[in-house]
Amino acid sequence: MNRRELIALGGSAALITVTGGASAGDWPSKPVTVISAYPPGGTSDIITRIVADLLTAQFGQQFVVENVAGAAGALAGGKLARSAPDGYTILVSGSAPIAANKVVQKNLAYDPQTDFAPITVVAESTALLTASTKAPAQTFPDLIAYAKANPGKVNIGNPGAGTKGHICAAMIGLQTGITLNHIPYKGSPPLMSDILGGHIDFALDAPSNYLPHLKDGKIKALAVTSAARQPELPTVPTVAEQGLPGFEATLWFGAVGPKGMPVEIVNAIQTSIKAWTETPEAQKKLASLGLVPVANTPEQMRGSIQREIDSVKALVEAGLVQPT
Amino acid sequence: MGTFDGILLGLSTATTFTNFAYCFIGVFLGTAVGVLPGLGPVATISMLLPFTFGLPADTALIMLAGIFYGSQYGGSTTAILMNLPGEASSVVTTLDGHQMARQGKAGRALAAAAIGSFFAGTVGTLFIAVSAPILAGLALTFGPAEYFSLIVLGLITSMVLTSGSLLTAFGMALLGVVLGMVGTDVNSGVARYTFGMPHLMDGLDFVVIATGIFGLGDVLANLDNERVRAASVAPVSTLFPTREDWKRMIGPIVRGTGVGVVLGVLPGAGVLLSSFSAYALEKKLSRHPEAFGKGAIEGVAGPEAANNAAAQTCFIPMLTLGLPGTATMALMIGGLIVQGVQPGPEILSQQPALFWGLIVSMWIGNLLLLFLNLPLVGLWAKLISVPYHFLFPLICVFTAIGAYSINNSVFDIFLMTMFGVLGYFFRKVGAEPAPLILALILGPMAEEYLRRTLLLSHGDASVFLTSPLSLGTLVIAALLVVSILSPRLRAVRDEGLQEAD
Repeated sequence: MNRRELIALGGSAALITVTGGASAGDWPSKPVTVISAYPPGGTSDIITRIVADLLTAQFGQQFVVENVAGAAGALAGGKLARSAPDGYTILVSGSAPIAANKVVQKNLAYDPQTDFAPITVVAESTALLTASTKAPAQTFPDLIAYAKANPGKVNIGNPGAGTKGHICAAMIGLQTGITLNHIPYKGSPPLMSDILGGHIDFALDAPSNYLPHLKDGKIKALAVTSAARQPELPTVPTVAEQGLPGFEATLWFGAVGPKGMPVEIVNAIQTSIKAWTETPEAQKKLASLGLVPVANTPEQMRGSIQREIDSVKALVEAGLVQPT
Repeated sequence: MGTFDGILLGLSTATTFTNFAYCFIGVFLGTAVGVLPGLGPVATISMLLPFTFGLPADTALIMLAGIFYGSQYGGSTTAILMNLPGEASSVVTTLDGHQMARQGKAGRALAAAAIGSFFAGTVGTLFIAVSAPILAGLALTFGPAEYFSLIVLGLITSMVLTSGSLLTAFGMALLGVVLGMVGTDVNSGVARYTFGMPHLMDGLDFVVIATGIFGLGDVLANLDNERVRAASVAPVSTLFPTREDWKRMIGPIVRGTGVGVVLGVLPGAGVLLSSFSAYALEKKLSRHPEAFGKGAIEGVAGPEAANNAAAQTCFIPMLTLGLPGTATMALMIGGLIVQGVQPGPEILSQQPALFWGLIVSMWIGNLLLLFLNLPLVGLWAKLISVPYHFLFPLICVFTAIGAYSINNSVFDIFLMTMFGVLGYFFRKVGAEPAPLILALILGPMAEEYLRRTLLLSHGDASVFLTSPLSLGTLVIAALLVVSILSPRLRAVRDEGLQEAD
């Protein structure tokens, strides 16, 4: 349920909205809540807002973003799992609340594989390793060398425990044999403030927030985690180039609804997102954020979720990601 | 972007018809709730917040801000004419303002309050325009340790400035922190204090609680003493201060503005401290301290300037650090986040139109308020005489709609009602709810920064003392506690706050 409809209906909607339970045929007959799992301004939230805007334009009904930030998206995931599966609440977010949290968080109040209905993976991107200008290492090999010489001294920030930033950092730690202290933040904006101010030395996160500051030289990019260099960051080498051949990790952003959401609504949303990603302006917009469109089917997304969970589970079992 | 370019951008934002209209609505509503005893800006803003979600972010913020500083003007009207503070920070204004009114100088007191407020508002907005960009630049030097210390200072200030015993205030703050913990832990995802109720998994909504305690709680408290409330309204004669008045009020206005500008920025202090401090300062500097409390125009002009200056500058930590110093500012942050705007150092570069538009609108709003309050004072005086039995059912309905529309949850209405009763109970036992509300917002933030600081320092708590900024902040907080424990200063505080009751 959402906030803006009160205004939309002149403040008297309070009485009407309690009824709920609309059938799929006339959907959407009232505003739809799109939950964003992180605070405003981060990559995940930007994608949530893009999706909400495109669905609003497509269906002629308000899709209203609501930020439910905290616990690496687990608060948002819990809220979605408790929502009615009537198509009036969906979640658009990075993969943590949709997949990895299942194995990374011991106290997760829902199971993303059974409590959610996958809609589509909207887009994917590389993760970017950045360093503050005050950091003791300004290149990727230096970071590894420094961490080896100073075990337990390196702090690396991520936008939430179990987010892809966290997982990638753990994977790098596993493959290079260094110990990293993972510091969770409540999304990208506070992490970026701290790395700009030099309060934390390193961060591993989706790139879009960091791009303008890299251009200004206020932070340093050490590596991208994708298999190839990124068109937006041609001078930044990949992790694979710098001593970890074959290393590849991408992060993805997807849309899900509560379990039992009508198939017609799932398909309507998936088709709209897919059609939008094929437009030139969508591709330009996503590229400027360092993103590549995906728009796969609900079944394919189920596979993406499974693969993500399997890969993180391996890290948890190897003792590299501590479930909290 | 320089300050000058910023102000030009702000002018073009604030003078669009929509924004100007909502600025007017904001200050008009603000004056009205300021005038009406028992309906303050916190309750009004929390009731109206859900209705602003459909507006653009700049328009919503401009209107909400207008309600806040508008109430500072309105509060003085009731204080002077009826000896009733329409708003907590106008308490000091009753001391000399109402005495002036009884001597037939009501109009001159009103003019002193409005002119003082306008001057202070102008200086306050200028101060934001100049200092906020500087502070936003400095904000990056604030790491988790510094934020934590600032929050501690805010919590301690709010406890020290509350009437009643320090122990009660501490208890209220503690209760606020505990209430703030309800829900899912941000770091680990563990459910805390939820008793297995899914409604509590997302935590207690701050707006629901504020509406309950300040909106419904005030209604209950007012109904309790409804018969006593029928006070007389002093007649208003000339509104023009004499030459002598001008001479006596210029100094206090300038000094009050200075006090308010500085104290407004301090988290937790807010507008109440600035009006008390300005009054104490004027009394100390005056050659006729015995005239205070018997209708000294200095005692009206100084505190009124101070509270309005603080009402402008308390936006600075909210906008540049994302740190709410008062309950009102916490509501504004809530409103901005719904709009997809994250207050913090980035707001200047990412939302320049919003930031500068707000500043320019504040000055426009202050100008509107000057006209709204002086020539139209008769209208407001009539508003005071609206019987409460017409008013309170309306407030009840609006609190219920406001609470419901946050999450469209009936549970929230029950929660709001429960906190309304609790708010009434707090008033009955003389426990101020302000520290509770502030702790409810700042508590979870303090926890987040504390845990992050300790993670970054590998569990070494000495970082709070080795960072000069953090150490300085903590020392100020410690001095505040010590000062309140020393009997002499304690007497000053109790005297100052006694007058508030």
